[in-house]
Amino acid sequence: MKVKIKCWNGVATWLWVANDENCGICRMAFNGCCPDCKVPGDDCPLVWGQCSHCFHMHCILKWLNAQQVQQHCPMCRQEWKFKE
Amino acid sequence: MAAAAVRDGDPGPTQELLVAWNTVSTGLVPPAALGLVRPRKRAAGPRGVPGIRPWGSLGSPGSPSLASPAASPPLHPFPTCPRLSAPFPSPLCVPSLRSSALQASSRTSGAVPPKEEELRAAVEVLRGHGLHSVLEEWFVEVLQNDLQANISLEFWNAISQHENYADEPQCLLLLLDAFGLLESRLDPYLHSLELLEKWTRLGLLMGAGAQGLREKVHTTLRGVLFFSTPRTFQEMIQRLYGRFLRVYMQSKRKGEGGTDPELEGELDSRYARRRYYRLLQSPLCAGCGSDKQQCWCRQALEQFHQLSQVLHRLSLLERVSAEAVTTTLHQVTRERMEDRCRGEYERSFLREFHKWIERVVGWLGKVFLQDGPARPASPEAGSTLRRWRCHVQRWFYGIYAGLRIEELFSIVRDFPDSRPAIEDLKYCLERTDQRQQLLLSLKAALETRLLHPGVNTCDIITLYISAIKALRVLDPSMVILEVACEPIRRYLRTREDTVRQIVAGLTGDSDGTGDLAVELSKTDPASLETGQDSEDDSGEPEDWVPDPVDADPGKSSSRRRSSDIISLLVSIYGSKDLFINEYRSLLADRLLHQFSFSPEREIRNVELLKLRFGEAPMHFCEVMLKDMADSRRINANIREEDEKRPAEEQPPFGVYAVILSSEFWPPFKDEKLEVPEDIREALEVYCRKYEKLKAMRTLSWKHTLGLVTMDVELADRTLSVAVTPVQAVVLLYFQDQASWTLEELSKVVKMPVALLRRRMSVWLQQGVLREEPAGTFSVVEEERPQDRDSMVLIDSDEESDSGGGGVAARRVVPDLTGLCPQLFWTYIQAMLTNLESLSLERIYSMLRMFVVTGPALAEIDLQELQGFLQKKVRDQQLVYAAGVYRLPKSCS
Repeated sequence: MKVKIKCWNGVATWLWVANDENCGICRMAFNGCCPDCKVPGDDCPLVWGQCSHCFHMHCILKWLNAQQVQQHCPMCRQEWKFKE
Repeated sequence: MAAAAVRDGDPGPTQELLVAWNTVSTGLVPPAALGLVRPRKRAAGPRGVPGIRPWGSLGSPGSPSLASPAASPPLHPFPTCPRLSAPFPSPLCVPSLRSSALQASSRTSGAVPPKEEELRAAVEVLRGHGLHSVLEEWFVEVLQNDLQANISLEFWNAISQHENYADEPQCLLLLLDAFGLLESRLDPYLHSLELLEKWTRLGLLMGAGAQGLREKVHTTLRGVLFFSTPRTFQEMIQRLYGRFLRVYMQSKRKGEGGTDPELEGELDSRYARRRYYRLLQSPLCAGCGSDKQQCWCRQALEQFHQLSQVLHRLSLLERVSAEAVTTTLHQVTRERMEDRCRGEYERSFLREFHKWIERVVGWLGKVFLQDGPARPASPEAGSTLRRWRCHVQRWFYGIYAGLRIEELFSIVRDFPDSRPAIEDLKYCLERTDQRQQLLLSLKAALETRLLHPGVNTCDIITLYISAIKALRVLDPSMVILEVACEPIRRYLRTREDTVRQIVAGLTGDSDGTGDLAVELSKTDPASLETGQDSEDDSGEPEDWVPDPVDADPGKSSSRRRSSDIISLLVSIYGSKDLFINEYRSLLADRLLHQFSFSPEREIRNVELLKLRFGEAPMHFCEVMLKDMADSRRINANIREEDEKRPAEEQPPFGVYAVILSSEFWPPFKDEKLEVPEDIREALEVYCRKYEKLKAMRTLSWKHTLGLVTMDVELADRTLSVAVTPVQAVVLLYFQDQASWTLEELSKVVKMPVALLRRRMSVWLQQGVLREEPAGTFSVVEEERPQDRDSMVLIDSDEESDSGGGGVAARRVVPDLTGLCPQLFWTYIQAMLTNLESLSLERIYSMLRMFVVTGPALAEIDLQELQGFLQKKVRDQQLVYAAGVYRLPKSCS
């Protein structure tokens, strides 16, 4: 017997490669979106800090904007720097 | 002159009084009545009265035949009146009076009754003696006695002859004769009554008012005459009046140039035309019912006219005919209604019946002698006729509404076509008090005809939708709908596929409830988000109509009025979340299992639903649709990349993925699966391409979903199939090793044994694998003859599928359900072998109970199954009769 596959239509879910499930700020799932967004994925991306923590981009930006003096990661309190 | 004698002090006042009394008494009542007092044997007399004679030859009071009682002159002028007997000794005891009494009576017993002046003089005498006060009372008394003893018996005797006459013309003649006889007997009394009235007017008599006396006489007449009416008499009268009406109606038709004014207007209806020609062809006259040659319509009309006149003169018209007329009218109306309206909902009958009623009222005018220029319509007569018209109309509304109420279920079922019937019913209901009857009857009809397990949910919903539309026309306040359809809503709540059906209807997926899709796309929908709570915000205050009494006071009227079909359906469960969730999973199914969905339609549906359910709940669905679009783009992207590469780097087969945002889709079943090396590689390659495209993101494959098209090349045949990834993977393992035990395979595939066995059943079905011995599966390289049967089935199945001709083929999209119906087929065959015959619903529910072979299979719905079964019927593998499927004899 020989099976010849002509076409494989698969179904998959995408997920962020992150070390956590939920955003530490909004507590929403990374694979979902932040409370201000409607559409996940490209429209509501994640960003990583050099401290290896990651958040919804919109969430961390909001957080950073709220910081008066120095910008810290809300999780580890290290200075926040975007991971390049 | 007699009065003058009294005043002059005439020596014989008593005698004078007696003479006067005799004059008066013999003048006022026929001699026969006065003879009454004598021996009671007279009571047997009427038996001897000559029977019926031809009209016109009836004896008058003076005629010899009737003179027999008068032959012995009345000797007792004071019949049984106790008050009179004391002051006035019987004339028999006063010999001196006898001669004058005889003289007076002999004068009257001749053909000539005493002249009016004489009588008047006599009355003056009586008045002089103060006796005028008893005169009227005495008159009534005599009349009553005469009626009791003679006239009544005579009349009924004549009537009882009718038993010998079977046919109507004779009956009519007899009736006419009998009443003629009666009239001739009563004629003297009526004449005297007029005199008495006149005297009363002149002040000679005290009277209780002229009207009083006349009324009394008539009451006595009616009372005595119809004290006990034989049934047969009523029946005869009724039959004759029925005939009269028909003859009259017919004569009206003929009267207008041979065309039928009633039929003319409605000859467009096929039914009416047929009826009209039948009438023309019939050898019988439509009026009198006898042969056209012997039609007696004309005579009948004349005779009826005579009869009415006689009855009218006797003031018996109402008494004799009212009941018969009423019954006849009721009967005729009912017959006509049954004949024309029953089952006919597509046109209004009100106008036609109004016209007809006007003609019936014309007939009534004839019966009650109130038409014709000769008789200027007195206000009283007008009012009688008005009363009758009112009665006929009310009766008509009542039974018409009754008929429609009885048929309401069917009317509702046919709704858009049966609108005229609904509007008729509405008109009638406003005039009759039949609301409760309607509610009860409709509820009962719903219970018996709709709300039982034999009806498809989708049909129930369809009927409910029609009911909403129809009853809204009937009752804009929607109270009838609310009350009568409560059982439907309650029942739908108990059906588990209700939500699915409604949602399917909303998205235009099912055939039965297509209305919903239309309804959904209507503009300006009532939002479910904000029920308009403010009570009187809309409309002119002038147009305000209170709610019917049976409305539920707990609910606001405007909300009830404004609710539309979709909001009513959605509110069956009291919450819209259920519907949104159902819609979501239905959408997910469609998107993932039917790769041939139409994005435009889905987007449109979601947009329309957003208008109803609000933005937020539909958000998930929007993301789902966006995922589909994104996936397509990504696939195209990757494909483009692939094509740029050299041929040797091309993947061995095309991999496409639908990439979902997991948070927004309904949860998926997670099945573990160990994919063979080459496949895993291909999938990982795809995954890497994705990761390159979307930074920091990766894919997780869901093997339970998807579709793999492949060719299975066996020694003697090649199968081209479309299966789920799991099924494909399982078969792939058999490529390298032709035989596996279930346990071994289970370890390799990393799938529980039971699940694996279910997945493999497809291949057993296809004849690719066989289980021999139990628990060991091996590839069937060469087909054995006993397997051929199933192979033939598959071939024919695929052929008709690819042909795409029939409804079924269109519905069971070949590459999405693939082998699934085939899998069902074994189950169905087994079921039918065991249970002989099953209905569609039964098969469906049993399949749902037993066949749990994965999401793709659970997907098949009732319509698909039906399509599949119908195809089997066409291929003569099944027999369908009387709503059940069975296997053909040879097959079992």
